[in-house]
Amino acid sequence: MKCLPANVFPLVLGATVIVVGWLGWASTRDPESLWAPGDLSRYHADVKSCTQCHEPFRGATTAKCSSCHSVKKFAAKSKPAVRDFHLEVMQKAQPCLACHTEHRGALAQITTGAMINPHGEFIFRATGTRTCTACHAIAAAKGGRLSLLDNAAVRDLIGEGEGAHRPGKFADCLRCHVGGQLEIEGD
Amino acid sequence: MSLLARRTLIVAGLTIAAVAVALGIEYVLSPRSDQPLGHTQTGHAIGWAGLLLILLVFAYPIRKRFAKDRRWPKGWFQVHKAFGILGPILILIHSGAHFHALVPVLAMVAMGLVVVSGIAGQVLHYLALRTLNEQQRELAHQGLSEAEIQSRLHDLAGQEKTFRVWQCIHAPLTATFVVLMLLHIGGALYFGGL
Repeated sequence: MKCLPANVFPLVLGATVIVVGWLGWASTRDPESLWAPGDLSRYHADVKSCTQCHEPFRGATTAKCSSCHSVKKFAAKSKPAVRDFHLEVMQKAQPCLACHTEHRGALAQITTGAMINPHGEFIFRATGTRTCTACHAIAAAKGGRLSLLDNAAVRDLIGEGEGAHRPGKFADCLRCHVGGQLEIEGD
Repeated sequence: MSLLARRTLIVAGLTIAAVAVALGIEYVLSPRSDQPLGHTQTGHAIGWAGLLLILLVFAYPIRKRFAKDRRWPKGWFQVHKAFGILGPILILIHSGAHFHALVPVLAMVAMGLVVVSGIAGQVLHYLALRTLNEQQRELAHQGLSEAEIQSRLHDLAGQEKTFRVWQCIHAPLTATFVVLMLLHIGGALYFGGL
């Protein structure tokens, strides 16, 4: 049977060149379908091109993120807690990708290990702080595990609780501070 | 059940089991359902390890073609077969059952076709040679001369050659797979960083 690789190679080579050519052409029209590991989230649905966030051979960089999510924008448009946290992070020049990710689908959460504030906004009012990191250390190496800092804000909060502010009782402020009142009924 | 059918079933069963185990490992090692293993440092390392094994697979055809003594490099053929299975299994662990981007999907399909054509070709070639040897022994036992045996086996040897048709699929598709694999690696490094 005359079917040696030498005879088939030109055919397959031609087909491969056509496929590669088509991939090149399609990359200019719909690069996300060809190269992205998943759909962009709803937050970045309006991103026009890959290079808006990716630098060649450097990936998605903080500099690219900051070109849209600038200090000015955080200062003008974000909630105080979000704004102060991000301004602090940007001042320390920490990479955005330490907490954020993308290409996990339109409805995906883009903050890895996204933490819900169990205290609610009440905690900021009660302590006079503005960010989670005012009272907590976040261990990135341990999947974002929180630990309580030993500083003035924490010590004041523990002191004001007169024994009630202790591990296990901290989280749900509104259980005792009904309606977000600083004063406890019966005090 | 014929020998061919039995052997085909065994090989198909083992292949399906290997794929299932690889996908299972990927599922277990994935940090979260929305963060596949392939997006992690561990996933990247497994991908590079798979690539290394796949590159070693090419030592056999290179040695076969360019060996000075023209001897068949049997040892490298064993490496070719073993790493031709292990490398793609590592790639399957690296990728998991997540198929979004077309380039790696095409590379995966090409890799699958290369592996399946290699396994099928090896099984068929082995069975054909075994039948040929059995026939040869039987004819010799009947007291036929060497010339008569060769004459009678000529047609059977011709059939054996037809099994080599798999090479028409196996070798050229490998070239397609290599091109798509390089595109995927290039794309991943370009967009993901070095």
